[in-house]
Amino acid sequence: MPDASDRSFFQIEQMAELLTPNKLAVRIALGLFVLGAVMFLCSLIGTESVSLKAVFAGGAKAPAVNPDYEIFVRVRIPRIVLGAIVGAALACSGVVFQALLRNPLADPYILGISSGAGLGAMIAVISGLTWTLFGRSPIAVFAFAGALGTVWLVWLIGRLTGKFHLTGLLLAGVVVNAFFSAVIMFLTSIAEAEQVYATMFWLMGNMMEEDFVVLWTAGGCVVAGTVALFYLGPQLNALSFGEEDARSIGVNTGRTRAAAFAIAAFMTAVAVSISGLIGFVGLIVPHGVRLVLGPDHRQLLPLSAIVGAIFLVVADTIARIIVAPAQLPVGVVTAIIGGPFFLLLLVRYSRSVGWLK
Amino acid sequence: MSGIIEVDNLTFGYTPRNTVLRDISFAVMPGEFLAIAGPNGAGKTTLLNLLCRTLTPKSGTIRIDSGAVESYGAGALAEKMAVVRQEFVPIFGFSVIETVMMARTRYFGAMGFESKADREIVNRALDVTDTSRFASRPLASLSAGERQRVFIARAIAQDTAILLLDEPTNFLDLKHQVAIFDLLKSAQLNENKTLVAVTHDINLAAQYCDRTLLLGTDGSYRHGQPGEILSAEQIEKVFGVPVFAGQVGRGRFFIPLGKFAKDAEQATNATDGAPQQ
Repeated sequence: MPDASDRSFFQIEQMAELLTPNKLAVRIALGLFVLGAVMFLCSLIGTESVSLKAVFAGGAKAPAVNPDYEIFVRVRIPRIVLGAIVGAALACSGVVFQALLRNPLADPYILGISSGAGLGAMIAVISGLTWTLFGRSPIAVFAFAGALGTVWLVWLIGRLTGKFHLTGLLLAGVVVNAFFSAVIMFLTSIAEAEQVYATMFWLMGNMMEEDFVVLWTAGGCVVAGTVALFYLGPQLNALSFGEEDARSIGVNTGRTRAAAFAIAAFMTAVAVSISGLIGFVGLIVPHGVRLVLGPDHRQLLPLSAIVGAIFLVVADTIARIIVAPAQLPVGVVTAIIGGPFFLLLLVRYSRSVGWLK
Repeated sequence: MSGIIEVDNLTFGYTPRNTVLRDISFAVMPGEFLAIAGPNGAGKTTLLNLLCRTLTPKSGTIRIDSGAVESYGAGALAEKMAVVRQEFVPIFGFSVIETVMMARTRYFGAMGFESKADREIVNRALDVTDTSRFASRPLASLSAGERQRVFIARAIAQDTAILLLDEPTNFLDLKHQVAIFDLLKSAQLNENKTLVAVTHDINLAAQYCDRTLLLGTDGSYRHGQPGEILSAEQIEKVFGVPVFAGQVGRGRFFIPLGKFAKDAEQATNATDGAPQQ
């Protein structure tokens, strides 16, 4: 018969399995450190070699130019920061959509954001608008509006199908996606070749150097969104067990779902409006982090954001240099390196330790 | 003394025309163990869902701890009753202790983490249900019986006066059926819980419960002590199958007899109040 001291020893062991604030803080700090290191390293890599010494010498006074500084500060850094912002937004909202839809196949685009953004971009290109809003081109503005509008439409349709509208929501997303894709096809067939090319290029997902204003606003949105979602973490954990179950342990499921859904959709729309459609990040990063660290959303959300940022920065660096001086669309790279990497994780972890570490 | 759950003239149907439950009234006293028994389609689970407000009655009232059930917010109701549901699909592989800790979600601090008191409550719930052995294992790796215990542990960790259970022994073998009902009984006696369990199993209901609510498919119902409610004729009438009623010590048991069952003929002859051909 085990005596009492034995048992309490075991219980300390078990309690170690639970996520603690300290453990989480250490992991986040570690993740941020790696992210910083990766961003720094990637900023050194490129078709032009940049001397850090020259960069630190600062911008030269006109008319002389310090090319190293110009490339590093005005081209590399903004693009790398952009990659981090977009990667974090997609991975984080991927986690939310998987949890809300209780579907491991869900990604940020599943509820029509992709086709809505695409349609918005197409309309902007065809109508030949040239104004800018907050330094954004009409394509970005229309894509943002199209993405949010579509998600809102899907949410409304989903609500019509009933109180527990998971399947209804998913089906509404599929149908709206299909419908808008058809409209895009139609517009493509009547548009001029040049316009079609512009849209397609945008749709493939691309990183362009952006103003610092854009980076600050987008970055602010994504960080705020991630923090807000972190606070919904315990509720999202409960929702993973189903709506009724979550409610019976006292979670206000309606409010949680609406808030998480709105934040995730907004973050995705921000990402899409600055970089087009970049696939795979929002699907595999959440799964990868979950496989290694477990399904607790309090940890999954911030760490997926960090890992997503790292992943996209690396993928974009590869896209920049692999076929230099040309550039690959980063979406191609995320799929090509993300797919096999994810399979590796899946086999490694699901065999030896099950779903949980 | 008033009941901790009071149901008055409760009527419910899933469509305007059909009625699953009609004019049902009963009360559950604090510390009582009520079994809701009856055949498939009699509305047992429906009644449970009405009690925990997943469904809304067509008419009639349900009072929990003398407050109308619809007057509770989601959180306030979760402080009164915990629910162990029948169907459960584990996604994303939460571990046992993480699952049980979710019962405390409502009490988490501002940063979304549990307090020391929450940990103690969860530890005790794991102990009581004998699930601490596999506390760190993922739910998906457990057997059905073990998983059921985990959800009972979660319900206990919710620290409520009332526990609702939907078919807690579904898919379990004899040993685990008994183990679950023993666990429930000990929760009733040692933790002073009020239990309402939906069950097919009239034998377990007869052995463990203080009162039985027997629902028929025709909207009829009977409520009372198992000894009064559960008789061969009554069960035959409600379930529509001949039964053999026997007695072991103080316990009564019932065995259903199919038309072609080996012992159907003999048992029929041996029973008082035998099923009529």
